[in-house]
Amino acid sequence: MELLKMDGITKAFYGVTVLDRVSLSVNRGEVHALLGENGAGKSTLMNILAGVHSKDNGLISFDGREITQHSIKSAEQHGIAFVHQELNIFNDLRVYENVFLGKELTGPLGRLRKKEMVDQTSALMGKLGVDIDPMEYAGSLDTGKKQLLEIAKVLQGEAKLFILDEPTTALNNEEIERLFFIIRRLKNAGKSFIFISHKMPEIFRIADRFTVLRNGKLVVSNDIKHTTPEEIARHMVGERYSSDVGYEERTAGVAIIEIQQLSGRRFHNVNLTVKKGEIIAFTGLEGAGCSELLQTIFGVLQPHSGRLLIYGRSLQPHSIRSAMKLRIAMVPASRKENSVIPDLNLLENTYLSEHAIHSRQKFIFKKRELQTYEELRKKLAIKAGSYRDMITSLSGGNQQKIILARSLRTNADLILFDNPTQGIDIGAKHEIYKLILELAKQGKTIIVNTLEMTEIQKIADRCAVFYRGTITAILNREDINEERVMLHATNAIVPEERSAAENERQL
Amino acid sequence: MSVNYKHLWSNYNYIIVFIGIFIAFLFTNGSGTSWTSMTNILLHSAILGTIALGMGFIILTGDIDLSVGSSFVLVGGLTIIVYNQVDNIFAGLIIAILLGMVCGFINGVLVGWLLMPSFIVTLATMLIFRSISQYMMNERGETRYSVDGSLSSYSALFKLGNGELLTLPVIGIIFICIAVALTYISSSTKFGKRVYALGSNPRAAKLAGIDIHWTRIKVFLLSGALVGFAAFLKIAKDTSFDPATSGQNFELYAIAAVVIGGISMSGGRGKVASIVFGTMSFTMIDKIITAVGMNALLNDSVKGLILLAAVGLQMVKRQSRSG
Repeated sequence: MELLKMDGITKAFYGVTVLDRVSLSVNRGEVHALLGENGAGKSTLMNILAGVHSKDNGLISFDGREITQHSIKSAEQHGIAFVHQELNIFNDLRVYENVFLGKELTGPLGRLRKKEMVDQTSALMGKLGVDIDPMEYAGSLDTGKKQLLEIAKVLQGEAKLFILDEPTTALNNEEIERLFFIIRRLKNAGKSFIFISHKMPEIFRIADRFTVLRNGKLVVSNDIKHTTPEEIARHMVGERYSSDVGYEERTAGVAIIEIQQLSGRRFHNVNLTVKKGEIIAFTGLEGAGCSELLQTIFGVLQPHSGRLLIYGRSLQPHSIRSAMKLRIAMVPASRKENSVIPDLNLLENTYLSEHAIHSRQKFIFKKRELQTYEELRKKLAIKAGSYRDMITSLSGGNQQKIILARSLRTNADLILFDNPTQGIDIGAKHEIYKLILELAKQGKTIIVNTLEMTEIQKIADRCAVFYRGTITAILNREDINEERVMLHATNAIVPEERSAAENERQL
Repeated sequence: MSVNYKHLWSNYNYIIVFIGIFIAFLFTNGSGTSWTSMTNILLHSAILGTIALGMGFIILTGDIDLSVGSSFVLVGGLTIIVYNQVDNIFAGLIIAILLGMVCGFINGVLVGWLLMPSFIVTLATMLIFRSISQYMMNERGETRYSVDGSLSSYSALFKLGNGELLTLPVIGIIFICIAVALTYISSSTKFGKRVYALGSNPRAAKLAGIDIHWTRIKVFLLSGALVGFAAFLKIAKDTSFDPATSGQNFELYAIAAVVIGGISMSGGRGKVASIVFGTMSFTMIDKIITAVGMNALLNDSVKGLILLAAVGLQMVKRQSRSG
């Protein structure tokens, strides 16, 4: 039975049509995947449904009634709950305070009924099978737990339809399982979900039906059973889709980084040699130490013990600037916090790093800068208007390319990518894979930390799998497959296999 | 096209505020308006404006400096003591700038290296600097620091502070030159871009390889040098410093001038050139109050209201832009 029907929804901002007669229908007790690249119109459609934006045209009916006067408040009253992609958690409040924020239970004279709230939060967490202490400060939770808290906050209410916008980006596999378990249970109780995600495998596991948008238009809507990931990708990207990113066999050169018994924040006793021209993937569950090792190589973090030799030299103390002078660059994780400088324009965002290491020359020669910028923009196929545009006006994929351009401008030979395709659509992902392979072909060395299997399989020569801060396996390209990586990443290997894995590592 | 208009509107609204106040100034002065009354705006903006330029850089990095009024007085007093001994204008200027940089360095190290919050650090040094200045005065048994009128360079100094060049006040011209130089530094040098990057997103700036500690210290050094320069201009103009009243509330006036100029208090956004307009807007308010014969005690009330109005205007625009 139909719960939500959106029909012929049209919306334009400043004369630009972002939604063109889009329809969407969601049944009771259904998980509906809403798919499309960044900029396809998913967010606008969901914002209209949640009452954030008004529609220019079209009909919305919910629970058998047509919705005319729509606002955030009326959406809530109708029973539409929205879990936004950005976390709305207050770090300085305790978990139960976050859950009850704005709807606190109060007694006479506005006294807070603290114990009741704590108990109810406890019960909620128990019901959802989430191990979070209600008295803990939200700031001390890791990102995955914060995301679960955000979801729990919404699930606590009596909504009929839940919109989950990329809910799994910060979750590890175990947490994703738990979330899916919760979704399935609520689904069986008749609740509906609109599920937005860029991760294809999980869509096929959780969704019943799907709708694909492209450039503000409805492309297809169907049962998930009648399609394949390949087909959906083609629908999302359109004609320019090709799953082959052009991996070619290359021969690796001399060793440029030697890591011996290195320990640091969240990793210990790591041994690894990186050769020139290689693409190595680091992978592991969230918090396995891959990101910290990358940051240590880049000089953001200091090693605690062991040896880190870069071009045969051990740097004491290591710093970001000493790493950059050795031609190492990093594209950090969490673009918004760690990379994007929102008040600088595109040109300024690209030349920043190069200027930081070549500071003897004090002045900026704009003509020369512009020329380099244009070359990089073409090479990386950055879709942008004027160089004066603010970086925040670009889509996630193009922002990431600007950050990559920033790294390339420093003439780096070794480029570290920390979760480079986070929150980026399929089309842009493939372009970034191609760029990485192209850079390797030119002799640059690449280390990519990623949680995505497809990414590893598409580009990596070797893959180092981390489990709780140690490398449990280094797999060669032909041995990389999802099952084997997961076994090592969860350390779920029986002893005989482990000794085989040890041998593998010796080689 | 409409987007471009909006861009212009939000980037240059400090000029609109300036023109609005300027019209009010012309209106209230009526027939009394003369070229001199207008160049006086420049003259009376020069000292505060020089300090505000340094404050602008600090605010662009996302920090604040509450100690400028106190270091202004401390540097001014010490410079007069030294100047009375050496009797040389150039040496006096250099000493003022160096002493200002010492004050800035103290703030800079505490904020940049020891990572203490700038609000607290400069609140503390604000108290310390003025107290030292008053204590020294008290020890000398005088009530104010004055330049010795019998010095051979006295008349040249006085002429520098009160003379005119092509009908424009000399210290006003100096102020404009400094403003032009700093505008260039902020918009066309690597240091300038680093200041914006640091204020906009310190974490990303650090990961992009910028030495954010040293950049912070440099900005405080720059601000200190400008405070020293301003102290020297004040010596040339008034030939004396009163540790109890000189530079009183200057830190707040300088912040106000920066804010009226449209620079964001959270850092990273705004134009250094706008500080010139912000300061002159602020000076004109004084003149308007005098012209309409209002009680001088209401001066700060009017300034406060204008500040609220200017910021309110910027907020309204920002919201209409994002909506």
